[in-house]
Amino acid sequence: MVLLAKIALGFGATVVMAGAYTFREGLLRVDVDETRGEGHHVHVWVPAAIVPMAMHFVPRDRMRNAGERAADFMPLVHAVAKELQKYPEAELVEVHDGRQYVRVRTHDGKLLIDAEEPGQTVHVSCPLATIDDVSRELATFAPAS
Amino acid sequence: MANSTRRLFPVLSFLAASFLFDPLGVRAQTSTSASSTSGHGERWLHVRVINTNSKGETVRVNVPLDMAEKVLPAIDHDRLHNGKVRIGCMDCDGVDVRTLFEAARGAKDGEYVTVQSNDADISVMKKDGQMLVHVHDKNKSKDSRIEVKVPMKVVEALLSGTKDELDIVAGLHALAGQGDVELVSVKDDQNTIRVWLDSKNVTTD
Repeated sequence: MVLLAKIALGFGATVVMAGAYTFREGLLRVDVDETRGEGHHVHVWVPAAIVPMAMHFVPRDRMRNAGERAADFMPLVHAVAKELQKYPEAELVEVHDGRQYVRVRTHDGKLLIDAEEPGQTVHVSCPLATIDDVSRELATFAPAS
Repeated sequence: MANSTRRLFPVLSFLAASFLFDPLGVRAQTSTSASSTSGHGERWLHVRVINTNSKGETVRVNVPLDMAEKVLPAIDHDRLHNGKVRIGCMDCDGVDVRTLFEAARGAKDGEYVTVQSNDADISVMKKDGQMLVHVHDKNKSKDSRIEVKVPMKVVEALLSGTKDELDIVAGLHALAGQGDVELVSVKDDQNTIRVWLDSKNVTTD
């Protein structure tokens, strides 16, 4: 009985610690809700910490291809993500145009993008540290200039 | 061993739960909204455009100057390279803008350019270390006006590069050293545009 309890405790603690590690950087969230047409709903919630890890399992040629395509703007993305981490709570852009609305801000170390228009809403939330990690990783595959 | 494990279990559970749930938004839900005054020494450039037409367009942009200074050199596109914009017409129609500026810098305060026409009244003056440009468009409403106020140190920094380029990063750096200032103000029948600098990280209208 004691042995079983120890195994259960070990297993439980491992699961909890693995979960804590996985979620330490928060969630990468993409929510798209369409109320017009076929009314698509896309909700992607991914632990941000696994994104840079997952990139190590992507075939090298695919990463090289992505690195080449992103080479022009990745230094900018990297610089923005790195600098924005110094401003964890900031309103950056807000645009109202009739019934369309776009808001870009940082909150709690995440970049939040909200876009709304009649029939469609998009909400994206991504930890700035993850953007920084991904851009740095992609930059390693960019061709040397 | 079993006793020590039992004693440690609540502590481990609490620590694990704290790590697990913290990033999921507990902190976000309980945190208060962002304060309007930013950290010590931070300077923010604000742009606000309000259109009073039927759609009521509004644009608000808030950019930390420090961030803009660091990010601009990373942009390599068209005429913008390494934080500098290449301007082909710095020598506009035979007028050497740089030489004009050098002359204005050493001169006393005063109104240097005055244009009065049927379309618009334009004046360029130097006052209290600032270059001021006022435009009144007579074709639009009575209140239609454009006011640009640029500290001379910023103009100087902008022109600190080679002859045919504006050093934007140097300009931003010089701007960061200025106090709260309204740089651009445009007002006509439908639009109000403001560009200003202060220490707040949100736009307060």
